[in-house]
Amino acid sequence: MDFNLSDESKMLKSNAEKFMKEKSPSSFVKNILKEEKGFSEALWKEMAGLGWLGLIYAEPYGGSGGNFFDLFVLFEEMGKAVFPSPFFCSAVFAGLLINEAGNESVKKAYLPGIIEGKKILTVGLQNEQCFYDYQKPALEARGDGKDSFRIRGTRLLVPYAHVADETLVCAKVMKGPRSSGSTLFITKAKDAGIQLTPLNTITGEKSFAVTYADYPANVKDILGSPGKGAVYVEKVMPKLIVLKCGEMVGGLSKVVDMTVDYVKQRVQFGKPLGVLQVVQHYCADMTTLLDTARMIAYQAASLISAGLPCAKEVAMAKAWCSDAYKRATQVAHQLHGGIGFTEEHDLHLYYKHAKALEMEFGDSWVHRQRVAEAMGL
Amino acid sequence: MRFWFTEEQNKFRQTVRDFLQAELKAGTFVAKSGGLAEGSSQEFSKKMAQRGWIGMTWPKQYGGQGRSYVDKVILNEEIFKVQAPVAYHFLADRQIGPSIIHFGSDWQKEYFLPRFVRAEENMKFCLLFSEPNAGSDLVNVATSATKDGDSYLIRGQKVWTSGGHQSEYGWLLARTCFDPKVPRHESCSQFILDLRLPGVTVRPIINMAGRHTFNEVFFDDVRVEKRFMVGPENEAFKQIMAQMDYERSGVERILQNYPIYQKLMEYVKKMEKKKVGEAFYSWVRDSVAQLETEFQIGRLLVYYTAWTIDQGRKPSKEAALAKAYCNQYEQRLNDLATRVLGPSSLLREGTPWAAFDGELAECYLWSPSYTLQGGSVEVLKNIVAQRGLNLPRK
Repeated sequence: MDFNLSDESKMLKSNAEKFMKEKSPSSFVKNILKEEKGFSEALWKEMAGLGWLGLIYAEPYGGSGGNFFDLFVLFEEMGKAVFPSPFFCSAVFAGLLINEAGNESVKKAYLPGIIEGKKILTVGLQNEQCFYDYQKPALEARGDGKDSFRIRGTRLLVPYAHVADETLVCAKVMKGPRSSGSTLFITKAKDAGIQLTPLNTITGEKSFAVTYADYPANVKDILGSPGKGAVYVEKVMPKLIVLKCGEMVGGLSKVVDMTVDYVKQRVQFGKPLGVLQVVQHYCADMTTLLDTARMIAYQAASLISAGLPCAKEVAMAKAWCSDAYKRATQVAHQLHGGIGFTEEHDLHLYYKHAKALEMEFGDSWVHRQRVAEAMGL
Repeated sequence: MRFWFTEEQNKFRQTVRDFLQAELKAGTFVAKSGGLAEGSSQEFSKKMAQRGWIGMTWPKQYGGQGRSYVDKVILNEEIFKVQAPVAYHFLADRQIGPSIIHFGSDWQKEYFLPRFVRAEENMKFCLLFSEPNAGSDLVNVATSATKDGDSYLIRGQKVWTSGGHQSEYGWLLARTCFDPKVPRHESCSQFILDLRLPGVTVRPIINMAGRHTFNEVFFDDVRVEKRFMVGPENEAFKQIMAQMDYERSGVERILQNYPIYQKLMEYVKKMEKKKVGEAFYSWVRDSVAQLETEFQIGRLLVYYTAWTIDQGRKPSKEAALAKAYCNQYEQRLNDLATRVLGPSSLLREGTPWAAFDGELAECYLWSPSYTLQGGSVEVLKNIVAQRGLNLPRK
């Protein structure tokens, strides 16, 4: 057992923390979310320049061939700052799908651009109930001649679709009445056959409904093999889930710091709130949530990084972190009182972030079922 | 970061397992919850001593093996999973020995440490800390040790003394300074007290599980030679603060009722969805997955605390946090198991049809003590808040 971060991880983490603190304080985050783009192009370029987008991709594509654990600590720091950007949808979700499913020419066509930040890709795998349906997509790709299709249907909660170049979707391929399995398509993000509707979510991070109205696609737009869409998504899913856990741990740590600082200064009844035992116990509970979340998330990240089997550990991490981060924000609101309920204060950024991340890729119930499966139940 | 063990550590774990399995087969003991509270066997302790498993982390010069705390957790994890009877040497190994190493005189080190390491006879220790008016508020102890020539006269009473009726020695906290101007936490000393001395009376207290494991201990002018005082006068709380973390950091905090966890998992695996109904099965499955997650996290917290000690850091926050977390998990385990098994969990040991042969009922009755003994969850949270987060003390 070794709970030390490597020197490289430590350095990356501290650089990322500095970057976020200096360039993306909460005031910056609040303002950028109000703008149409919803993220900072300048910072995006900087992050690309630092090699962050290509961290886990192979060098021939412009990546640095780094290890997954380093990407995890990067997400911790971005979570700490509730940093809005297409990093996850483009350089992780879409990038990993292309890396997993694409042949050499497809990878060469997309990965360098993604890694340089010149191309932004996004992913639309959620149906009109906002659930992931890549196993049996409601989106249809109807056969239209020999190698062509017409894509029809709506995808919800598609991040940054308005600035993306391409959108990856899973569609059920229909030839007449017969459907073959879920198939990954690379579609244009904007086109005559595509309608984008901005969605107002609680976090304010840019998200869209993407409606395909007979959008013309071709066999060449299929990523990987037809019918294997779900296989590819499942393959990359553990990494996606664990990176979200990293974000949650980062956010949680900020919530604890913010709250402990507050109760040390806020005076009521002639003394700082932090003198009261119930307040101290709430804070002890919060730091327990943080330490346990960190422990279980780091375990999953280190197993993935080492290429070891970890289905159960990934599920435990998502189940625990989803509840822990959310609970911490609830306790934090109690301890902050009225001031924490204002828009001016920062706490709401984390409260919203916690709920959004709980909802992403399945809440604690979903992942507990996976833990049970892994236990043979 | 590595969340797995080295080959050497895995081999060590296997060695311990093999030993314990052989002892179980030979019928030396039974893998039933309560081993730590009730399983005292000098014979068994001697077997562990022969393998160098007592005082494992102590420096070699004191008869120890100089091994890591992580290795100690590996040993204890296997021991407590089967509830091996280690009560004879447990306190000596966990905190008496370390306290003597850090604060004891040369004579105390020479006399006691080798005897601990070899599990020699008449070496069982109990703790003489709590009193009727001094539980969480330990500085309020009133048992006095008054200087009288070359000895001290002990007068007073202790309570909740686990194993006091089977112990030859007690580790005693007593007041040695009676000046009201001196702060209470600078007024006490620690002593090694031979319980066979005249004036010591041990009286059983029966707990709500109907068991006799702890006691009241009365001291009626017991004469203790001054060479049995540990360190200088009035340094008890300094010493206790230094040792508390080690007492709290053990893996026993999550494994007191491990047999219940094991039996519950086996029971659930054999459950037939059709027989019990889909809805109930679904709830059981979800609850057990949550329990498992909590258990795995608790285990990691204990290993992390041990690793922190091995890094040379004082694990005050980590040990307190881990113990509070683990004890609460143990309570939830018992309660959840009763809800899965149903009313047969009301049936006590020796009753036919009892859930887990009555072990579950017994454990459920022990549950309230988990979050109280060795530092209540509330006191531990104070420590996490004050020492870990620097929240104000007064």
